Amino acid sequence: MRQPVLQVQDLSVERSGRLAVEGVTFALSPESDTALVGPNGAGKSTLVAALLGLVPRRSGAVEILGQPLGIDGQLPRAVRAQIAYVPQTLALQGRFPLTVAEFVGFGFDPPGLRLPWKDQRNRHVAVQQALQRTGCEELGQRLLSELSGGQLKRVLLAFCVVRPRQLLVLDEAQAGLDAPSNEQFQQLLFNLRRQEGWTVLQISHDLDMVRRSCDQVLCLNRRLRCSGSPDHALSPQSLNELYGPHMITYRHQHHD
Amino acid sequence: MTDAAALASILAEPFMQRALVGGLLTGSLGGLLGSFAVLRQLSFFSDALGHSALLGITVGILLGINPTLVLIPFAVVFALLVHQLVQRSALPTDALLNIVYSSSLAAAVLALSLVETYRGGIQQLLFGDILGISWVDLGVIGGLLLVALLYLSLSLRAQVLLTLNTDLAGAMGVRSGWHRLAFIVLLAVVVAVSIKAVGVLLISAFVVIPACAGRLLSRRFPVYVVSSALLGGGCALVGLLGSGLTNLPSGPCVVMVQFLGFVVALVISQSTRRSPAVAGPGGRQILGGGPAAPEPH
Repeated sequence: MRQPVLQVQDLSVERSGRLAVEGVTFALSPESDTALVGPNGAGKSTLVAALLGLVPRRSGAVEILGQPLGIDGQLPRAVRAQIAYVPQTLALQGRFPLTVAEFVGFGFDPPGLRLPWKDQRNRHVAVQQALQRTGCEELGQRLLSELSGGQLKRVLLAFCVVRPRQLLVLDEAQAGLDAPSNEQFQQLLFNLRRQEGWTVLQISHDLDMVRRSCDQVLCLNRRLRCSGSPDHALSPQSLNELYGPHMITYRHQHHD
Repeated sequence: MTDAAALASILAEPFMQRALVGGLLTGSLGGLLGSFAVLRQLSFFSDALGHSALLGITVGILLGINPTLVLIPFAVVFALLVHQLVQRSALPTDALLNIVYSSSLAAAVLALSLVETYRGGIQQLLFGDILGISWVDLGVIGGLLLVALLYLSLSLRAQVLLTLNTDLAGAMGVRSGWHRLAFIVLLAVVVAVSIKAVGVLLISAFVVIPACAGRLLSRRFPVYVVSSALLGGGCALVGLLGSGLTNLPSGPCVVMVQFLGFVVALVISQSTRRSPAVAGPGGRQILGGGPAAPEPH
């Protein structure tokens, strides 16, 4: 059996003086696509922040690619370079003087201090390929702050695909997208995951998408309430336990 | 005397030569740091630092120590304390900074009223005295410019990612806390060192105005940073020469030139966005190369 890309053991995290995540244990097998679902305030973003080493954990252990995550988020640079992250949005108030190609180029550079003109030729080639693979060829010289929501999400995937990585974490990546843009984004994510061999962990409120795309579902409400295949974890009974009795579920029937 | 002769006579004065070099260095340093500070929404922070510097100077006077020696450690400690306050308080940052800078300004004025005679005078503290800048001051400012250039070049990726999204930066291996602190300390030192030349009231203009003008004119990030620094240095030179020729106060002259530069940048950026024949559907870049930019969807 292949080593899990991410292994979490009895993880508890405090935020603003209260226990936001308690005793969570799970593992992500290589090239799997896992959704993290739960109501608002359930601790999903806190859990992801702790897995990325952005907030300290109170107890428990996290291993990424076999390397333990330090209590303050320390990871060997080689392992850190294998992680990609797609946030909900970027702080682009007003006119932000940064082109799409420049931004994607920052995804190519490894962690640490370095002069910006180092490895410029390889960076340029990698950026062009990443833009092409995400359908963003035309956007390279546009300002990041001029993009629509859907374009920005594709550019964020270009940022991830500009160098080989193993673990991709998405924090409500569909937030703010209309239905067609969401569909395009999911299709692109699906294709890139297959091509790149990414292991994906995504926070999502789109349970229909989770049913269609993900291999595994983690239902979180401070504790891990249930986990498993979408059919099992998203059954009406599980959803009632997770979201409360007012949750009404609709199942789309797909006909081939 | 003709203008050219007057200019030559001004330029022949050693104090004016030092002032011009000082203006160039201080203006460039302000523009360089300002290009990041404005994007990180730290403009008001530099203003608070400037006002609090008056308290640092007053502490130096009251303790009988050269105010310049007190100013740098005072500004750094003050910046770190304010940073902690902003991080830990649930109040909005602008309100907190307003409280901090108005209180420190009031405390400084009260303390200064206890000092019977201050050689430099309050006017000099408020508006600066770039004509009194020494070769040692120039060495310190030049050294600081080199340190700032080196640090910002090496950490460019970290600075941009931190500005865009702290979590994204952290996930990409950027030591967010360390870089945030390093930038604030650098900004505090730059403000402290520039106070003598620029004055307490005008220091934030040196940080904010050239960066905003550069932001309006640039599309690529390195071009934005370099143009902000060049605009800062260039406006300082023009302002000082204007001040020398008209015998008007030097600090306010420089700030007025910066303001005119900003207005010109605003007009250029607006006109290039409005003119479809020149700009294409949504505007064209002014500095930095690249094709026209369509409107956002």
